Parts: sequence; C-alpha cells; structure tokens
Amino acid sequence: MTGIKKTQAKDRLRDALGGKQRQTLSGDIKIENLRKVYRTDESETVALEDFSLEIKKGELITIVGPSGCGKTTILKLIAGLVEPTSGTVTIGGEVCEGPGPDRGMVFQDFALFPWRSVRKNVEFGLEIAGVPKEERRERAQRYIEIVGLEKFADARVHELSGGMKQRVGIARALVNRPDIILMDEPFGALDAQTRNIMQGSLLRILEKTDQTILFVTHSVDEAVYLSDRIVVLTKRPARIKEIVEIDLPRPRDRASVEFTSIRKRILEELEKENVME
Amino acid sequence: MSGKTIIEMLNYDKNDKRHRFARRAIIAAASLVVFVLLWWNLSLLLANPAIPTPQKTWSALTYLFAHGDSVSGVTMWSHISISLRRFVYGLLLAMAVAVPLGLFLGYSETLREFTMPTLEILRPIAPIAWAPIFIFTTGYVWGPILVVFVGIFFPMLTNTMFGVKKIDPNWIDAAKTMGATRVQVFTKVMFPAAVPYVMNGLRVGMGIGWMCIVASELYASFGGGIGFFVSIMAQMGYWDYVFAGIAVIAVLGLLTITVSDYVHKFIVRRMGME
Repeated sequence: MTGIKKTQAKDRLRDALGGKQRQTLSGDIKIENLRKVYRTDESETVALEDFSLEIKKGELITIVGPSGCGKTTILKLIAGLVEPTSGTVTIGGEVCEGPGPDRGMVFQDFALFPWRSVRKNVEFGLEIAGVPKEERRERAQRYIEIVGLEKFADARVHELSGGMKQRVGIARALVNRPDIILMDEPFGALDAQTRNIMQGSLLRILEKTDQTILFVTHSVDEAVYLSDRIVVLTKRPARIKEIVEIDLPRPRDRASVEFTSIRKRILEELEKENVME
Repeated sequence: MSGKTIIEMLNYDKNDKRHRFARRAIIAAASLVVFVLLWWNLSLLLANPAIPTPQKTWSALTYLFAHGDSVSGVTMWSHISISLRRFVYGLLLAMAVAVPLGLFLGYSETLREFTMPTLEILRPIAPIAWAPIFIFTTGYVWGPILVVFVGIFFPMLTNTMFGVKKIDPNWIDAAKTMGATRVQVFTKVMFPAAVPYVMNGLRVGMGIGWMCIVASELYASFGGGIGFFVSIMAQMGYWDYVFAGIAVIAVLGLLTITVSDYVHKFIVRRMGME
C-alpha cells in the first residue's frame, strides 16, 4: 500500500471514531466495464463481460445468477484481490487499485482467524491501521455489541456456532468503516433457520451503521428479502441481464403476494439461463 | 482370592475416567514386568558378561548417580546435563534457522525452486554421517550440537513449509481486504497459521534430535555426555555401566517425546486450531 493510501485509511478511522461525517466527494461507488478473462496456454475463458454498476451510499445490492457464472469473481475484482482484464472501480472519484480497507469483505466460510479471540478478530483491521490499543478496544467493543456478541467477546472462534461466526465476520468488516462491504454468500454455510435469523439481524445491524453492501447469493428468496436492488446475471460469461428494484417496505413478508411474485419472476429468468445450456 | 479373576478386573467402566486410567496403568505395568523378566532370564541363560542382569544394572545405576565412575570422574547427573544442554542448543539453533526459512520457502515459489534441489540432496544423508566432519572441524562441544541441528532442521523445515501451503487462502484475502501489507500478511497471518505445523515439526524433530545427540557422542572421544559414557564403558568392558547408560538414554528419550507431545497438544489447543 502506498503511504498516501495508508494516511487516508488512518484519517478515515479517526473520523469514524469521532462520529464525524466523512468528507469524501460522495460515498458513491462506480464500477465501470469490468471484464475478466482467464487465459491458459490452450484456452481463453471469459468470466465476466462488461459489468457496470453504480451504487449509492447505504444501498444494499444483491447479485444472483446461475451457479458457476462468476459471482465470486465479481466481488474479488471489486475487492482488488483479482486483477481485472479491463475496467475500473471508483470510490468517491478515486480509482481503486489492489485491495484496501475501503472495501471490506465477508466470506462464505467466515475466514476468521482461529488463533484469535472474537475481540482480537474484530480488532484485526484496526491493528493493521496502527490504531492505538485503547481506541482499538473501544471501537471493537462497539461493533461486537452491534452484532450482539458482547457475551462472547473473549471466546475462541471454535467455540461459536456458524451464525455467531458470521456475526464476527460482519463486525470485523464493519469496524474498519469501509465504503463498501462485499459479502460472498455469507449465509450459504448456515442452515435454513439460522439463515433467516441472520438475514433479519443483518438488516437491523445496517440500520445502525448505514453501510453500503454488495451481496452475492444463490438464494433468490434471500435476495428479495434483503435488497434495494437485485442484479440478475446471465450464465458464463456473466453479463448483467436485468436489474430489479425492490421497494417493498421492511421487514418484508416472505408470504406476501408482491414478495412471491417478484421471487417467481426472478426465478423464471434464472431458469431460462439454465435451460439455454 | 476374592473370586475375581484378572479378566474380570479388566472389565471396566469405559465412561469412568479413573477406571480407564487404572486399566491402562495395570496393563503398562504388566508389560514392563514381562520385559524385565525376559531380560533377566536371557542374561542368566546366556551367562554372557555383556548382558548383565536387571539387578546388576540397577545397582550400577544407583551407584553412578550417587558416586559416578572412576573413568570419567563425574556422576551420571553431569553426563545427563552435558547431553541435554547440547540437545537444547541444537534444537534452538534448528528452530531459529528452519522456521523463518520454512516460512519464506512456503511463501516464495522462486526461492523454493532455487533452494529445494540442494536441500533434497542433503536431506537423505543420515545426520550422524556428518558427525566426523563436524567434530573434526568444530570440536567436541559444537560437533554434537551441529549433528542435532541437522537432525531437527529437516523435519522442522518441511513441516513449516507444509504449514504455509495449508494456510486457508481466504485468511490471506481477508487480511488484504483489511489493508494488510505483505509484511503484515506474513507476520500476522502466515506465521501464526503455521505455528501448529511448526510444533509438529518440533515433535518429530525432538525424537530424532535425541537419537542424534547420543549417536554423535558415541563417536566423540572426549567431552562427556551419555553417549560418550556408554562408548567408554563398553571399551573398558564395564557392561553393567553400559546397560545403566542405555537405561538412562531410554528414560530421557521417553521424557523428550512425552514433553514434546504435550507442548504440541497444548499450543495447538491454546490457538484453537485442533
């Protein structure tokens, strides 16, 4: 990371602690013409084609698409963990290069550090940014409380249930106050019941933090329950097939006519993608 | 007899921890008793001075601990302390070199491709084969230490490298998305993640290291140590002393393995990485 970027990250953390509004041009995120081609000696696979999306601050966007279409690749491209073949990600007018704390990530298999306690996992990003110890503690504590794990702050990762682990994952991403949190099927490893509970919790957490979220999921039901907008992808090479805006009031009733009709329509769209193969 | 046969006594409550422990203790004791009886019979049967009875060995042992022998002029305690000290130095030296090197080699493919051919040539060489060279070049203090170093170095190195390769790539990605630099990924993710494997390397290495120390002392013609003691006593035909020395080697070897097993288990559990 460059020196300039690092000081910016520190400034951001300080602002967040002081509760001040951040001074970026806007919290908006612009993804332009992202394209990814995997090349080997024999073949060329286009994983993603012409992916453009503008995300407003505080928005929750989900991405659904046929399995294996490269949903995770999109998140990794935006996170800077994978180099795009072409295209850019711009946050507040600045082009992102490589991974950075302005784009947090939550993983399907949690990716928590088992040798650290819950508290120390949440503190990780602050430790990296050189935040002093007491300040680190205080901030981590606040996010541990937001995700409802205050009783387990000193527990080890292996002592937690799957749902609790992912709460730690969410707190660990939130505490760094990134511009966007990329969530890669975060509830995919959980059982159906825990999954529904976690979806409700996520929405409540977001009320308190006003975070921008880009969320990848297999489950259309989950997408309709959570999203402001749903991005529906085609099969590989993935392109945006449709963007569905959902303005049902929250908490949403999964059994309502509107909910089921939106779900049905998106499922049918995805069905067409699978049939065409 | 109260009517209970041994078989009945071994019928125990599997859920009771004390029962389980008692059963294992009884069986272990029986195994040792059988072993000593066999040894006793064999030594009487062969009537060879090179195979003293357990009784003679035991009295030699107690004498050596209390008074020492007239040849080396020191007690068994001092031989033990010489050997253990060499063992610990060799161990620390191997850790200091093998762990960082293993981390770098696990991390960088280029470095691995450059280093591995040489290491693969050196690895199959039995550590003790280096003893003459090391003792000749560095003397009887450092010689055995270096043999231990070589013995522990390779299992330590391969386990550390393996540990780095087994790291969940998501851990590294997670650290990067929280702003970690390459150095921070190395110190805050790769190193702690590799610790259980390093500990496994330590466990394997300690067993080998103990064999190396005794073997290299056998070769040294002075400088003390248990291996040295056994070799000198054999040359002079004090077979009960030789057996006493071997018994000490066995007990200390067992202790080393028990301690390293315990340390390994403790640290892996402490780190929540079972």
